[in-house]
Order: sequence, then C-alpha cells, then structure tokens
Amino acid sequence: MRELGQSAFRISCSQCACPEAVPHVCMGGRDMALSVRSLRLIQHRFGFSPPVRLLTDGEPTKFQPPPKPVIIDKTKSKESERRFLSPEFIPPRCRKDPLKFYLERKDMIERRKVLDVPEFYVGSILAVTMADAYSSGKRNRFVGICIQRSGNGLGATFVLRNVIEGQGVEMRYDLYSPRIQEIQVLKLEKRLDGNLMYLRDALPEYSTFDFNMKPALSVSEGEVPVNQLKVKMKPRPWSKRWERPKHNIQGIRFELYLTERHIEAARKLARPWEEFDMLKEYDTTKIEQKVWEEVNKEINRPKAP
Amino acid sequence: MFARGLRLLAAQACQAPTIQHLSLSAPCGAIQKLTRVRVVDNSTLGSTPYHRPPKCIHVYNKSGVGKVGDRILLAIKGQKKKALIVGHKMPGASMTPRFDSNNVVLIEDNGNPVGTRIKTPIPTSLRRHDGEFSKVLAIAQNFV
Amino acid sequence: MAVGMNWRLLCSVRKQLLNRVTAGTERNISCVFITRGIQSSTWWDEHLSEENKQFLKRVTAEEYHAQTASKLCPLKDEPWPTKPWEPGSNRVGVIAVKLGMMPIWTKSGDRHAVTMLQVRDCHVVKYTPKEEFDGKTASLTVGGKNVSPFYKPESAMELYREAGVPPKQKISIFKVSDNAILKPGTPLYAAHFRPGQFVDITAKTIGKGFQGVMKRWGYKGQPASHGQTKTHRRPGAISSGDPARVFPGTKMPGRMGNVYRTSYALKVWRVNTKHNIIYVNGSVPGHTNCLVKVTDTKLHGKKLSENLPFPTYFADGDEELPEDLYDDEVFQFSEPSVKYV
Repeated sequence: MRELGQSAFRISCSQCACPEAVPHVCMGGRDMALSVRSLRLIQHRFGFSPPVRLLTDGEPTKFQPPPKPVIIDKTKSKESERRFLSPEFIPPRCRKDPLKFYLERKDMIERRKVLDVPEFYVGSILAVTMADAYSSGKRNRFVGICIQRSGNGLGATFVLRNVIEGQGVEMRYDLYSPRIQEIQVLKLEKRLDGNLMYLRDALPEYSTFDFNMKPALSVSEGEVPVNQLKVKMKPRPWSKRWERPKHNIQGIRFELYLTERHIEAARKLARPWEEFDMLKEYDTTKIEQKVWEEVNKEINRPKAP
Repeated sequence: MFARGLRLLAAQACQAPTIQHLSLSAPCGAIQKLTRVRVVDNSTLGSTPYHRPPKCIHVYNKSGVGKVGDRILLAIKGQKKKALIVGHKMPGASMTPRFDSNNVVLIEDNGNPVGTRIKTPIPTSLRRHDGEFSKVLAIAQNFV
Repeated sequence: MAVGMNWRLLCSVRKQLLNRVTAGTERNISCVFITRGIQSSTWWDEHLSEENKQFLKRVTAEEYHAQTASKLCPLKDEPWPTKPWEPGSNRVGVIAVKLGMMPIWTKSGDRHAVTMLQVRDCHVVKYTPKEEFDGKTASLTVGGKNVSPFYKPESAMELYREAGVPPKQKISIFKVSDNAILKPGTPLYAAHFRPGQFVDITAKTIGKGFQGVMKRWGYKGQPASHGQTKTHRRPGAISSGDPARVFPGTKMPGRMGNVYRTSYALKVWRVNTKHNIIYVNGSVPGHTNCLVKVTDTKLHGKKLSENLPFPTYFADGDEELPEDLYDDEVFQFSEPSVKYV
C-alpha cells in the first residue's frame, strides 16, 4: 500500500521540477485534477465535446478540500527502514525440537500473508476488528492501549485496555486467530515499561481512549518514539506491589504514594546478582537475525499465480 | 428549606461511590458466595447508597463460580434479590471482555430487569442466551 | 557440547593412564581410574584410537542411510501380499516423538489445543505369527527413532540385524489381524493416520518421585491451624479396627508418575506428510520429546477404518498426497479470515 502511494507521488513530482534529494511537499490530488482538466481542454480543442459541459457537468461541483500533503523524504532508502520482528517469532529457551518452532512459523507466515499484522508495541494504541457472531453487524471493533504481549508461536496474544463509560474493559486477542479481521495501529509508540498491567491500578484517564480516534501518521524509519509519561495511581492497595524490583516499573510516580519505609522494604527484595547469572543468559540476536531473514523472504515473496 | 434538602441529597448521591467501598481489599476475581458486586442498572434499589455493599449469597449453577450469563442471589439493602452477571473481573476465554469490576443487573424472579437502562458496556456473548435475557439486552446501551 | 568436551578429555587422560600403568605396575590399579558406564562395563570406544572411532561413526551413518534407502520401496522389495480391509481387522500403530503443543482453529473460529507428534524413523522390526505370540492374534514389533548401535547389547542388535533396520530407541508390540501383517523393514509414516479419525496414545507419564497423598491421590489434608499438631498433609486413618489390617491397594504415599497411561479417542486434526507430523487433539501423556505409541482407537463409537490406508500407507504407492492433510473443520491459514453471516 505504502509503495503504491509513493509511486503515484513520484509521477506527480516529475511535473514540478524540484531537486529530488530535498524532502518536499506535493499536492497529489490537485495535480491529478489539473491533468484531467488539461485532457478535457485538449478534447475541446479538437472539438469532441460541447464546450458548455466542459468543467461543470450541468451543476456546480461541490468544493472539495485538497488532500493532506504527504511529505516524502527521498534521502532515505528502503535499507534504512526499521527492522521489526514480532516477538512471538523468537522461540523460548527450552529443549523442544527446533522443527516444532519451524512448523509453527510456517503457519504464522501463511496467516500473515492473508492478514496484515502491523508493527506494534506495548503502549501502542490499536483498533482491532474481529468477527463476532453475537454483535450487531457480526463485527466487533475495539480500541485500546496494548498493555501486554505474551505467548510465543501461534499462541501469541495481546491485551487491549480501554475505559468505556467509566468502566475499565480489557480484551485479550489471539494474534493468529482467524476471527481477527483487521489490526490497525492508531498511534505507534512505546512506553517506559514492557508491561503496562499497572494501568489497572492507575487513574482511569490514563487508559481512556476515544473509539473514533484518527490514526496518527507513523514513520517507518528511525527509532520508535518512547512516551515518557509517568502515571498517577489510585490509592493503595494495588492489585500487585508494583514498587517491588521484580516488576521493574519505571512509569509510576511512586514518590506520591510510598514512604521511605515502603521503598526501603521493596529494595530489600532486589536481586542484583541475577543479571550476572550466566546460566540465565539467553542471547537471541543470532536467532532473531535468522528468523527475520526467513520470515521476510517468505512474506515478500510474490504469490504464485 | 426544601432547596437545601435537595442540595444535601445531591451531595450524598455524589459521595455514593466513595461510600460504597468501605472494604479496603480488592473485590474477588470470581463471583462466588460473599463476593461484593456492582449493580450497573439504574434501579433505585441498586443505585441508592447503603452502608453495606451488595453481596452474592448464592450462584445458580453447578460449579458455584458465576460467569457471564449466570443468575445469582444478592443480599442488597437488607433484602434478597436475584441478579444477572453481565461482566466479571476474572478473565474468561480469549476474545471476550474482562471488566475491572463484577457487574450485575437486578432482575425479578421471572427474568425481567428491575431498572430501565444499563449504561456500562455489556459483553455481546450474552446474546447467546437471547431468549432468556432479551429484556435485559433491550435496555443495554453499550456492547463490547 | 561441554559434556562432549569433558568426555574427550576424560578419554585422553584415561589413555595416558593406561599406557603408564601397563608399562610398569599391575593392572588392578588402572581399574580404579576407569569410569564405568551404566549399562556396560566398558565404553564402546575405550580401546579405540580417535581415528578408529571416527571411522566407525562414519561407517555406521552410511550404513543407516543405505538401510533406510533400500527400505523406502517395500513394494518393489518383494512385498508381502496386501489384503483388503474387512470389518474387525486391526491395523498396526506407529511410534512417534512428542514435539509439543500448539493451538489450532476451526472454521467456526473456535480454538483447540493440539499435540504435535512426529513419526521419526519408524519401521516394522519383527513379525510374530499367531502361534508364537499368544495363539489368538499375530503381532508386529515396531521401533521408532534411530540410535547409536554402540550402546546396544548384542542380543538386541540381533533383532535389528534380522530386520535390516538401524537400532531403535523404543520398540513396541502391536496386535494386528491376519490381513494387516507387514514385512519386517517396512517404514511407517504419519500418513498412516488420516485427519478425522480417532487414535489412542500410550506413553509413560512424567515421573514425580515420592509424593504424599495430597498430591498423589488428591486427599484434602488437614487444616493449617485450629490446634493441629504436626498434622497438615497426612492421610489420616488407613483402616479400622474391625478388619484389623490394611486392605491391599489402599491409597498411600509413594512413587507417582512414570507409569504407562493411555489417552483414548483423540481426534486427528491434521497430518503433515512432509515432516511426518500428526496433530492430535488435546494433551498426551509423557514429557516433551518422549516416545509415544499411537494406534487406531479401540473405543467402538469412534472407530473409523474403511477409508484409512490398509494395511498401511506406502510412500511409493499410487496415492499422491499433498503436504498437509486437514480435517474438514480445520481453518487453514491460507484461507481468508472467518466471517459470520
């Protein structure tokens, strides 16, 4: 889809003679209209059609706002596009046969050829449309912030959270379920933590999102923006003691809720030696590279006729 | 005098949600006996404040754990009333909603709802039992 | 990897020691240093040089390859005559490796858990006729998963040599009817089973060690407080005064797990013919990578034998199979998403 758009704009750019390397703004739609008009003028000159019906077909056309300008930065090639491998592709560290993961991966790729699963992270805002036999229109659309991604292989899931009418609602989706019809990223960003389950204990405004939210334009190059938001919580007790080091939460303003005593008690539970435990080390960079190549090759391969 | 009384009443109504949570512990995940629940319809019985939160005192199914679509018996404002579960804190199957509170709708013995409106969202899976709860579904305004 | 390194180190050290010992003092001392194996009194490569060891390994691999290749075409290899299916006939089963579990979806959008079983190097090893077995039915011995021959005793190797197949990690006996017998050496594949049929799976459950009654038999135990003294997870009474003895079979603490258990009538959702994978509904006894015995179900309501390959699926037969066989209800991932109308 993105490539199509780019090619269209490239055609329109050839009309205005500006240097290619400079990122510039094109009014794609207007150019298109211009070309149509010139075509009609040509027609008129050769006397094919009556001149009255040239520009207006009987009645005045409605004013249409020009489409939004799209900024294309041509200095960056496709090489610099962000590499993203969905976390469920990386096999866990275990004694299972690698063949098992390979077979699952094959099925996942098959599914991804049908359904476009976009790049998203914990903290991104998503809109998911799924088939639901019981809702009106047999479709169900839910918008919310992704608070957790879990599972690996075909059983991968993600949780969306939103507050509707003051009622916190969460949905857990199977990423590869055939019932999912569309996954749309409304806002692509990361948060300070890899798991936002603490939003359950945070004030509701942090997980309230409008269902009619417009998707924000996301860039496919460079780092994903990290939202440095720190949330305020409901009064304690919370569902979990988020201050404990095992959760390793950065996104809560603890200083508002905890006394020195609490912080000291939590600090005693820290296990700083675990990061030096070589037995727990699991370096996935090589596996990631291998799997990324495999997946990328398969997904980009054109379909057999 | 009358106006002041009205204002007092209004102030009480505003405070109602804070008063309801006298207990500091989080509500149970599963709806079983003695679980505190939240009445989400606009019936007077459920919405007027009372010093004791409504509690489930029986679940009408075989497992004893109430899920969406199960009927329960409530102890509410010193009386017994039947209710229908329309959402719970315990996570159910995937692709079904999980709520932050245990929501119920008050119903009469014959299944008709007591209130006239439900504003909080309700899971669509309730429509599976459409014949039984069609009157409850009719007064619901939001579905997830 | 580390284990292998240690081994090699150990071997070399032992060799040096042996040399030194044989040079001077008597042999008794050397025995002290030699590490013994569990099953054999000597390592198979104890008196071999490194080159000889490598040579033996290579030769064995080649031999395995040749054996498997020659057995790939049993129909050309003077097969035993195949007979048609009749009601009441029993097919042979296979031995498979449990790979793990994954989800599968049906066309109605429901999710099911399946276990992946891989049929790896599965061969018929031996045919025992009716008279020699139990006088009622004939039996076939089937082996699965090739292993090194160097750790097998000579008596076991004899069996494999007769069949002309590499030695197997696990062998198992299947009772078959007379029309379903197969020539020893016939390879068995996952396509022996077809989607939609039901299978029984037998395997050794995960061993839990010595366990108390609460874990082993699900007893309730006693309360944590209210005046309990040293009684929280105990069984309580095991008998009464009248019989004045403990009945045999009373549930008591003991070894839990590590026994053969069978799950009956599990549905086959999908079969992968390329990698020989059977996708079986639900969970299966045994740990990951354990070898399980898969047979057609013996439950009467679930039997389905007419449309199955009989006596087994031959790779070089007339039947051309696609890579994946699916049950009718299974959602294939290349299909468009599920929609309700």
